[in-house]
Amino acid sequence: MTKILIPTPLRQFVDKKDTVEVTGSTVGEALNALTAAHSELKKHLYNDEGKLRSFVNIYLNDEDIRYIKKEATPLADGDTISIVPSIAGGR
Amino acid sequence: MIQIQSEAWQAIVSHAQAIYPNECCGAMLGTIDGDVKTVKVGLAIENAFTGVQHERYELRPEDLLKADREARSRGMDLIGIFHSHPDCDAYFSETDLKNSCPWYSFVVLSIYKGQFHHANSFLPNAEQTEAPKEELKY
Ligand SMILES: [Zn+2]
Repeated sequence: MTKILIPTPLRQFVDKKDTVEVTGSTVGEALNALTAAHSELKKHLYNDEGKLRSFVNIYLNDEDIRYIKKEATPLADGDTISIVPSIAGGR
Repeated sequence: MIQIQSEAWQAIVSHAQAIYPNECCGAMLGTIDGDVKTVKVGLAIENAFTGVQHERYELRPEDLLKADREARSRGMDLIGIFHSHPDCDAYFSETDLKNSCPWYSFVVLSIYKGQFHHANSFLPNAEQTEAPKEELKY
């Protein structure tokens, strides 16, 4: 099982849980399992082309999957996936 | 409505004044009860923007991840982000909107000549096309 930590504002789409457990052999499979079980969540994470939205970063434990094998990054038992936004700005 | 407890508010304001004339940034941890968000901790985070920081800020995702973990370990939630506008009013700019994340409250502090002047909170919509004001108490 892999744990996916859900950011506070998205918990309303996963029955108010702060963590969801899914099965999958890659990060992509785990995320698909998450959005398949909680379809409302999908549009908050993915754009119309089915790609992760530009401000959404996915971390496997402490690493950005962009620097590993992206959504093909393999999962080991006990791994934790975090959904972390990019935030910046300027006046 | 978002209310910031006095200790958290003092931490946020003193960070903004200390970082002046650059833009500061950070995370707000607390609890949500219905429509009321209560900020209990203001966590200063390093402005990671490479370049002149007088008009820009950037948060490293790994710093936000740490803030989220800290919130969880303290039985709280990550509920908002703050940043400052040095010598400028506390509005939500085009750059703020485009680089925001439609999940959190965004508190902007106006700092004039190194002193806190006023603040506003904004809630970017899902499409990041507008960010209506949210009632803010501090
Ligand atoms: Zn700004």
